[in-house]
Amino acid sequence: MKKAGFWILAMVFVLNSPAFGADCLSAFKQEHGNLAIAGGTAHIPVVKEAARRIMTYNKDIRITIGGGGSGVGIKKVGEGLIDIGNSGRKPTDNEIERYGLTMYRWAVDGVAVVVNPAREIRNLNTKILEKLFSGDIQNWKEVGGNDAPVNVYTRDASSGTRKVFWKKALSKGEITGNANFVSSNGAMKTAVANDVNSIGYISMGHIDGTVKGVALNGTAPTLENVKSGKYAVARGLYSNTKGKAVGLAEKFIDYLYSTDGQAIISAKGFIPVGQ
Amino acid sequence: MKRRLPLLVDVFSFIAFFVYTVVFAVVILYLIRRAGFPFTVESVFGSADPVRALLLREPVFDGLFPAISGTFLLVVISVGIAVPVGIGTGVWLSEYAKGALYHVMTLFLDILAGLPSIVIGLFGFSFILLCHRLFPGKGPGFSIIVSGASLSVLVLPYLARSTEAALQSLDNSVKTAALSLGASRMENIRYVLLPKASPSILSGILLSIARCAEDTAVIMLTGAVASAGVPSGVFQRFEALPFYIFYTSSQYTCPSELDRAFDASVILIFLSTVLFGVSLVLNKTVSDPATEGK
Amino acid sequence: MQRLTDIICRFIIFSGALISGTVICLIFLVLVVSAFPFFLDNGLEVFFQPWDPVSGKYGIFPMLAGTLFISVPALLLALPFSLGFAVFACETGPTVLKKPSMAVIRVASAIPTVVYAFVGVFLLIPHIRSIAHSGSGYSVVAACLVLAVLISPTMIFFFHDSIQAVDGSIKAGADALGATRSEKILFLVLPAAGRGIFAGIFLGLGRAVGDTMISLMLAGNNVSVPGGVWDGARTLTAHIALVMAADYESPEFRSIFACGLALYLFTGMLSVLARVIHGRK
Repeated sequence: MKKAGFWILAMVFVLNSPAFGADCLSAFKQEHGNLAIAGGTAHIPVVKEAARRIMTYNKDIRITIGGGGSGVGIKKVGEGLIDIGNSGRKPTDNEIERYGLTMYRWAVDGVAVVVNPAREIRNLNTKILEKLFSGDIQNWKEVGGNDAPVNVYTRDASSGTRKVFWKKALSKGEITGNANFVSSNGAMKTAVANDVNSIGYISMGHIDGTVKGVALNGTAPTLENVKSGKYAVARGLYSNTKGKAVGLAEKFIDYLYSTDGQAIISAKGFIPVGQ
Repeated sequence: MKRRLPLLVDVFSFIAFFVYTVVFAVVILYLIRRAGFPFTVESVFGSADPVRALLLREPVFDGLFPAISGTFLLVVISVGIAVPVGIGTGVWLSEYAKGALYHVMTLFLDILAGLPSIVIGLFGFSFILLCHRLFPGKGPGFSIIVSGASLSVLVLPYLARSTEAALQSLDNSVKTAALSLGASRMENIRYVLLPKASPSILSGILLSIARCAEDTAVIMLTGAVASAGVPSGVFQRFEALPFYIFYTSSQYTCPSELDRAFDASVILIFLSTVLFGVSLVLNKTVSDPATEGK
Repeated sequence: MQRLTDIICRFIIFSGALISGTVICLIFLVLVVSAFPFFLDNGLEVFFQPWDPVSGKYGIFPMLAGTLFISVPALLLALPFSLGFAVFACETGPTVLKKPSMAVIRVASAIPTVVYAFVGVFLLIPHIRSIAHSGSGYSVVAACLVLAVLISPTMIFFFHDSIQAVDGSIKAGADALGATRSEKILFLVLPAAGRGIFAGIFLGLGRAVGDTMISLMLAGNNVSVPGGVWDGARTLTAHIALVMAADYESPEFRSIFACGLALYLFTGMLSVLARVIHGRK
């Protein structure tokens, strides 16, 4: 009951967002300058939309957005090459200490196994999942599918999505050397959508009709299951800054926490998390 | 076997002609068919008002304008750096260099010309990192100026060699006439040789422009990003057409983005073809005896 | 005023040459210095080891193999066809087609490598996927085919110029002795153009080895040595593009300088060989 009440209230806020939107953006009124953001690719849809609204509101602000993966985001912001480094995993204690990072978590996201929509599979248990990714199972017919090779797609070492998936879904199991490398969540989606025999992993917020999420051990990859904790392969979406966020960076992160920002986050398929 | 020989060579060369023509026709026609006419207001400016966007009053989010302006600025910077250095080197090679020094420099330029573009990008990238380490906060960072400088390294050998070749191919009488009248070597270069060779040199410059506009490997390591708007300064990150094509091919979020990538491809090919064509015409005017003024 | 512009011109000319000379050495130095710690930590065996950062292996052997298995077949495929085309454009083609055929090649050379790769992703990969029955389509074959198409215009121009440059007296002599056109081409013209042809081959190989976008976008970037033509592979160039985003201190990151050094040395060697064979004046 409490939950429903909360959601109703949230809906009211979202529906009224134009008025509130203007309020949220008013912090940027007198600002000018450049803001460089890079890192995790899962964050990109949210950050891009937020940037678009801010830049449309105030023409004197320039926000550039790059990808590269969580590792890159942390590195670059730590080295002072960018202002905000996004990561799809919590920075390690080592990284925090070394760079003096301040973390801001503004969403929770799941990492789902995805296959092409043409594939019939709805559920995989962990053992079989590990075998599919390690290359022990090489043909779909071994798991009840058609006679076709299993094409594994994976991310590079910098990816937070990969790290979380490898740790929590594969239990740090091996990923076959024959796997195809893609460089972002967006690229993973395109690859899996275009290959009927593919299997990969992706940020849940990126799942749309072009790829199909697969349940793990009976638990479907939905936001509800992530929230309740039933679906364990989840991670926070962080924006990190070197030291405390100041200036434009601070305002941008505040914007993500604002009602406007939280609405964007929900709309893009993530679970917004307050300050 | 000897009987078949004539047939073999002829047939094979015809096959080669046929194969390549078909392949290139397929590539170009596929792109043109898929892209349609690329210079539409929608593909360049998206949902923004064209006039305001051109005046930089309104940001363009779903059009090619930022990438086009990025590529344009990139070319201006890289050719702006490469032309004086490259032509200077070419003149030096043709007029001043002798013996071992000449051979060493031409060897260097040959090696540079053969270097993969990504190695040059790596060099630019190292430069950025080094500056960042030595002068934290004050280095150029990932920016259009570093990309432009790296691209100029890419086209430098070509400009130098083509300038040298242009000067060398001048008729001997042209080269010595002014000297015999008492002009200094420098005067000869400035008032006789360079102007005479300028069509060839210009054609080399045009080719360099094409090369800088279409390179991806160098700029992806030194500052090209997927989303940056129109470049706001030389020390800023930027968008560029070839990088847009690369980036979109693997991760397009909506069909219109993919369409724009096809548009960008056609724009680049069109640009290069025009530049190549003009440079070809320029080269023809040089070798045309009618212009030699004998 | 005259003196001033004179001085400026002199400055441009000599500093231009100086900058050119310095840059090339600088690139080499930077590569060696940056790659040095990598070799120090891992020794020269990295050229033979597999790439598996998770278990601490930073060998670049798979990338060397990838470059080899993609560039060399591409060159071998492009060579006969490019030569055939050049012969067509110089000798065997009907006169009315000779000039237009070179025009076709000129337009083709205006196509950037990223566009070739882009077209390859949408036009070629799905077909390879269905032909191969194994793999995702991103494969050595896909990259090879498109790379062969990419390097052909360059080689064709070179071969064309070399054949044109063959002394008319050789061709006239052959005709006078009653040789057929094919005999003339195969046994006299081509060997006479031999040096230029060799130089063109080296040029083509250098271009194939140095290309980044085609293998990055079409070959799958797998970390294992390709077992067959339908497998994916990762080249030295693609590896640099992929990994440069990684941690700046890590051995992974430093591996890209080792790749860069390997590329520098190999293409440098090719350039020197082409020079020697072609005989610089």
